[in-house]
Amino acid sequence: MATYAPTHSHPGHHHHHMDPRPLSYWWKRAFVYTTVSIGLSFALVYLLREAFGLTPAWEGEVYYAVAAGVGTIAFTIGIGCWDYWFRWLRGKQVDPEDHSFHGAHSWKDYLKVNTDHKVIGIQYLVAILFFLLVGGLFALLVRAELATPGETIGDGETYNGLFSVHATVMIFLFVIPAFAALVNYILPIMIGAKDMAFPRMNAFSFWLFIPGGLMMIASPLVGAFSAGWTAYAPLANQGGTGQTLFEMGVQVVGASSIASAINILVTVFTMRAPGMTVWRMPLLVWGSATQSALVVFGTPFIAGSQFLTMFDRIMGTNFFNAAQGGDIIAYQHIFWFYSHPAVYIMILPGFGIISEVIATFSRKPIFGYRAIAFSTVAIAVLGFGVWAHHMFVSGMAAWLRVPMMITTIIIAVPTGVKVFGWLGTLWRGKIHLKTPMLYALGFVLSFVIGGLSGVILGTIPTDIQVTDTYFIVAHIHYVFVAGSLMTIFAGIFFWYPKMTGRMYNERLGQWSFWLMFIGLNGAFMPMHWLGLHGMPRRVATYDERFAELNMFISAMSLMMGVATLLVIYNLIVSLKKGDKAPWNPWRSRSLEWLVSSPPSLFNFEATPQVVGGPYQYGIPGARHAVVFAPQEAGGGEFTEIPTRTILVVANQTVASQPLVDEIRRRSEEGLWRFTFAVPVEDGDARAAERRLQTALSALAEDGIDASGTVVKGDPFAAAAAVTSEEDVQEILLATFPTGESPWMDEDMVDRLRKATGLGLNRVVVRPEEALRPLRLRGSGRVAIVADQALGGQGLTDAVGGMADEGGLSAVLIAPLDLDIPGWTDEAGERRDEVTARMQRSIASLGALGVHADGEVLDGPLADAIALAVREYGAKRIVLIVARGGRLDTGDALSGAQAAAGGVPVEHVVVDAEAPAAPAGS
Amino acid sequence: MATVDHAEHLPGGVGAPEPTRGSQMSMGMLAMMLFIGSEIMLFASFFAIYFFVRFNVSEVWPPIANNGQPFELPVLLTGVNTAILVASSFTLHWGEHRLKHYGDRKGLERGLLVTILLGAVFLIIQVNEYIHLGFTPQDQAFAGAFYTLTGFHGLHVFVGATLLVLMYIRVKRAHDFSPQWATPLTAASLYWHFVDVVWVLLFILVYLL
Repeated sequence: MATYAPTHSHPGHHHHHMDPRPLSYWWKRAFVYTTVSIGLSFALVYLLREAFGLTPAWEGEVYYAVAAGVGTIAFTIGIGCWDYWFRWLRGKQVDPEDHSFHGAHSWKDYLKVNTDHKVIGIQYLVAILFFLLVGGLFALLVRAELATPGETIGDGETYNGLFSVHATVMIFLFVIPAFAALVNYILPIMIGAKDMAFPRMNAFSFWLFIPGGLMMIASPLVGAFSAGWTAYAPLANQGGTGQTLFEMGVQVVGASSIASAINILVTVFTMRAPGMTVWRMPLLVWGSATQSALVVFGTPFIAGSQFLTMFDRIMGTNFFNAAQGGDIIAYQHIFWFYSHPAVYIMILPGFGIISEVIATFSRKPIFGYRAIAFSTVAIAVLGFGVWAHHMFVSGMAAWLRVPMMITTIIIAVPTGVKVFGWLGTLWRGKIHLKTPMLYALGFVLSFVIGGLSGVILGTIPTDIQVTDTYFIVAHIHYVFVAGSLMTIFAGIFFWYPKMTGRMYNERLGQWSFWLMFIGLNGAFMPMHWLGLHGMPRRVATYDERFAELNMFISAMSLMMGVATLLVIYNLIVSLKKGDKAPWNPWRSRSLEWLVSSPPSLFNFEATPQVVGGPYQYGIPGARHAVVFAPQEAGGGEFTEIPTRTILVVANQTVASQPLVDEIRRRSEEGLWRFTFAVPVEDGDARAAERRLQTALSALAEDGIDASGTVVKGDPFAAAAAVTSEEDVQEILLATFPTGESPWMDEDMVDRLRKATGLGLNRVVVRPEEALRPLRLRGSGRVAIVADQALGGQGLTDAVGGMADEGGLSAVLIAPLDLDIPGWTDEAGERRDEVTARMQRSIASLGALGVHADGEVLDGPLADAIALAVREYGAKRIVLIVARGGRLDTGDALSGAQAAAGGVPVEHVVVDAEAPAAPAGS
Repeated sequence: MATVDHAEHLPGGVGAPEPTRGSQMSMGMLAMMLFIGSEIMLFASFFAIYFFVRFNVSEVWPPIANNGQPFELPVLLTGVNTAILVASSFTLHWGEHRLKHYGDRKGLERGLLVTILLGAVFLIIQVNEYIHLGFTPQDQAFAGAFYTLTGFHGLHVFVGATLLVLMYIRVKRAHDFSPQWATPLTAASLYWHFVDVVWVLLFILVYLL
């Protein structure tokens, strides 16, 4: 997967040399540097301990701590993060515009140091999904332990390790870096920049994150830290090597996070495109910049707290030892002074993502833009003044309680402002329930529950009552799972087409949402009740009376596990099989949608000019930004794109060759862009979506900027849906020939022209052309070998389902397996009958936007398979057989596999009764 | 969409368009300021533990050490050391001034060299102080806080001095920095001043008061 599209970019990359050294060079070097430095740090500690006469010479934890720190730095040096800096520091001449580590040509470039913010974004994304799986595995282990009241899978100490590692991985290695992943990829493009302010430091942040993360997840191997992710002293002082790895891991991951936050802040402050004033910044930029400020000023406090506990553990200081003048409560104050702002670190970019998604899929300007932006800053400022609400029962100074309660309740106000902003945006919007929008709506609904239980917990009496019960667990999961995780998934799905150039599988996406939504509410809602009835948190066993609910919660957590796997499966499979993504599949306004998917090497050919706010949906003529591209002719002059929009109105004919040819022809005459409006009055909207996606993918392959929407209603409603939002210069209407087209019977050309006041061109598409949709280049060639199933609805559904997973073009092959001479009348009749069924299937698939060819042959199954492989070059063969039909036998499948050679053969059984729905008029 | 070869637009012909800059603020300086903000918070967390020990726990101040005597810090020697460190800020500023107002790289070199030496002297005196203090970090919590604060500060002096050494190498070997452009130098010197200011605070709060 290249990070940039060949269109709208530098073909061949005339001056862009990649560093020639192979992957193995960097990883060997990293391995050698790391191991040697760990060995040296052991030797150094030993010598120092000897020199100062410290006994015993072997104090394991000291060695591990030093080795972890030194090894991490050595790893980043070995992998190549420091090469440029070292050259500079040695006084050598360096080229600051050295781009030999920028951009990716193959997957290998993702496994080494890369300075391209898009590559780093993907690197983070892969890493966090891995850590999500690890953290999720630990969550399921926790739920396995809690499924029954007694000790189920291990003892109490094991359980302590499980929940500690689960929380730490999810917080430090999933949620926080997940925002780094999305922000790294999107934010620079969003503000019209070519990259982050410090691309090399950006790479350093990522490669620092990896050893830090590995340190944390390696700890179960050496005795997991078991004092919880909060690592309260003096409990944490008793931990073993796992605790050391936790403390060092927090330092390393924290340093990575600070470096990347500084990078984001400097990028936002200095690199916004001309015209992008602070009040024109997308709300994700606001959220991310504010979060970065929290990271820069908050994270050092957890670094401090972990240094102090580590010194207590391995150096014998007495910070948290009351007998030696230490102060135990001090740990909690210092820890929560970071860790309360940290909960906003874990949600503010999420708020930004939700604002983008909700505005886009409601087709309305965000309600209360400035209020949402201000409330983001207000949350950050107030966030530093509420920390002690975690400590109401700790025995801290009593006078601190009431002020902290008041600030805690106040901080719900800016959060409420945001929720009302989103509700106001949804109010009377044209809501499109795509996967990101589902996640966004699910987020708003369930995050409010977490927010409200937060206010309840902020009141001192309630908090004292439910401290350390499952009520707290319910609250934290409603804000982290129903909150952060849902926003992360919304963001991943929303920007997936931009990042990969492929559409994700919408149906799987929606499935994953419903599983996740039901799973999380099912799992965390009952915890409120458990908490109120006194089930303690962080204990492996519980009272018998909670058994049933806990079993239910464990079952629900499995459902969330399935949802997560489904999300990851969707992301992976769609990489290859997904439809080509257009530049702007969501018809969104911000800058990242005005460039190709994925964006070119440096995002923009020339600095864009921002001319308006980012959320002006439904305001005709409003523009957010002007993007420039080299003109077709004229010696590389830059010219503004897109200039003008053609509205394409078509239904059955959307994915037909004549229409696409016409659009190609028009796009060559100038910088047109195209918006499709597909009116669906009573037909199948899913088939219309499928046809539209086929057309958009075909155009995307040619680098033509097109987007579109399916509109319930007549062509007037469809045209109005687009003209009410965009400036349209011209209409292209595709219909069947006069006489065969209901639209032409209704005199649609003149009426649409009058209704819109725009020039209108008509493209005539013959019905047979409409039913033979585009064969997508680069899409998988699938051979469908069928028996009596041919012509039935079951076959159409099965092939349609495959097409939903990714573009394909099918060839239907029907082996007659004649046992009589081919010249007899009877053979002729059977051929005619099967051919008719073949035509029915091809037509009904065409109506779904799936291109299919067909062939009927006299011979047996083996001939059909051979034909599919040899003549049609099929990459995949699917036997679709009627239940109980001629080919519904094990012999048929094994025979087909033998005949297919290496080509995979699948076997699908369908019911043959219902004939396929006739193709549309 | 056809693309045209437009390498002639690109500085240095390396394939990268000119950077987008919506602001004239120096990126390097802004990053250094934010980093210093982060460092301030790190020291704040150590000062926090110091204050907890001092105001939340201790009944007498200075507290009683494990040997039964109150902790005693060498105020006079450290005062001299403080003066040395503060002086180093001025020598560095002098060097920077020579470069920025007179284009005098030799002056900058001298300024850097003297500053680095003063920093080294400070560190040596500090280590000497540790040796003769008579208590270790394993003593009462006060001792831990004292060593953590001064130790981390010493580490920062070391890092700052290293940055200045690297700047010295840049001037000496790459003939870098001019009155028009000296961002890394300015950033390093800002860091050095920050380290000094932290020390003055530390000296007042831990040694004097």
